[in-house]
Amino acid sequence: MAIEIEGKSLETDEEGYLVNLKDWVPAVADAMAKEDDLELTEEHWEIINFLREYYEEYQIAPAVRVLTKAVGKRMGKDKGNSKYLYALFPYGPGKQACRFAGLPKPTGCI
Amino acid sequence: MSDRIEQARAELRSQIDAKVSSYFSSCIHCGLCAEACHFHVETGDPRYTPIYKLEPMRKLWRSEHTLSGRFSKLLGRSTELSEQDFADWEELVYDSCNLCGRCSMVCPVGIDIAYMLRKQREAFNLSGYTPEGMRNALQRTLTTGSPMGVTLKTLQATLAHVEKASGLTIPIDRQGADFMALFSSMEVVNFPEYIASVARIFDTAGVSWTISSEAFEATNAGIQIGSREGAKEIVSRAVNAAEKLGVNYLISPECGHAYTAIRWEGPNLIGRRYRFEVIHILELLDQLMREGRIRFNGKSDTPMTLHDPCQIVRRGGVIKAPRNLLHQVASGFVETTDHGSMNWCCGGGGGVSANERAEALRLKVFGRKKKQFEESGVDTVVTACANCRIVLEEGLEHYEMDTEVIGLTELVAEYLEQGAD
Repeated sequence: MAIEIEGKSLETDEEGYLVNLKDWVPAVADAMAKEDDLELTEEHWEIINFLREYYEEYQIAPAVRVLTKAVGKRMGKDKGNSKYLYALFPYGPGKQACRFAGLPKPTGCI
Repeated sequence: MSDRIEQARAELRSQIDAKVSSYFSSCIHCGLCAEACHFHVETGDPRYTPIYKLEPMRKLWRSEHTLSGRFSKLLGRSTELSEQDFADWEELVYDSCNLCGRCSMVCPVGIDIAYMLRKQREAFNLSGYTPEGMRNALQRTLTTGSPMGVTLKTLQATLAHVEKASGLTIPIDRQGADFMALFSSMEVVNFPEYIASVARIFDTAGVSWTISSEAFEATNAGIQIGSREGAKEIVSRAVNAAEKLGVNYLISPECGHAYTAIRWEGPNLIGRRYRFEVIHILELLDQLMREGRIRFNGKSDTPMTLHDPCQIVRRGGVIKAPRNLLHQVASGFVETTDHGSMNWCCGGGGGVSANERAEALRLKVFGRKKKQFEESGVDTVVTACANCRIVLEEGLEHYEMDTEVIGLTELVAEYLEQGAD
């Protein structure tokens, strides 16, 4: 699978996650959001940018509870809660937001 | 029948040891195990009767180890264990069993059903009938070192925050330290407070410890899915690192099944004794307290109860240590009904939390925990397993309960008297 961005074809896996993290540009998030019938607002971008930074530091895509807790630490409880994050990313803030941010699919523990 | 299924059948055959054989021949079909299983109790579905989950193994046992079974086989009246049996039982073997062992506790003839299910999973793993999430978790652990993809860089990032906040130095690769600590991925990623608490407590108690940069992961997806090869490889990494550093003790973290893997299954998996001892963090904290190496300053007066992680308490035998500790740091500690070795599982153990397909069922059977917590009359739950914590939080959120979940080691660190010697 692939996604067309700014005239380039970027490879994605079967679930739509970018295969090469370095391919990511902001237009990737816009294009993926459009496919999910979402329009990205400043609130979405705050989370997407946070995820990019988080990955840069920890080299791991945070699953939903990890993301919720990390957002809470950075932005406060108003944003670090499931309701707020699910309202922004209805397909799951872990999975959908990580996909938009060009991260791999997040996984939980075992 | 494909080679894969032939292999799986041969594996199942080799798993039928004297214990399994005597267990099957002793079963009196009383059905008591059904009432002990949260999957059965919460759904009322008779297929979730624990012993029924072992039907593929029982079918093979009957046809090869009993007179009537061998006779029917001769007469062509019984069918062989087929690929369809593996396909039909996959959900019962993986989605509806936490390997929690509550069924084993109630069996009037002493059948360890969880032990048999763990063995049966070895054959299912070879058959290929396994949940994708668990397969991927094992694969990631074998390739990256962690089911969540945690690498040394992730650990270092976490430790940098812990060191900055605490002012302590976390010892890495310290040759000849007394203790080596393992952590679960979820502790590294989501509960750095646990690592910070361990560091503070050890600093206060003067414990000589280290983390190995070569093996710090405690979880073992191999024992969850039933891959002894995978499980052996994961255990070997920790054992080799501990022996290389020459430590006397290896600390299993709060994580439940990590203890089963490293403490109980490990030596059998690698086929020899360790050159160190394994101790669970709660046992160690309890020991430090009894030796007077840690003391406490005040107590929490928040009413709270304890969720016993199955693999640490029921299967692992660490029953008194969490209670000894809790009594020291919480004046409002109350037990739930069915506590200790008879506690109900959070529903996420045995790899179920990594199995997306099982999510709806897991949340349904969380109804049992919900009742237990409601009956306890408190809205704070202490536990000692990172996976239990996540699964409890998800369940509580699903049922819109305003209950807080906290970690026991963190609670102990919170009331630690600084400067005790």
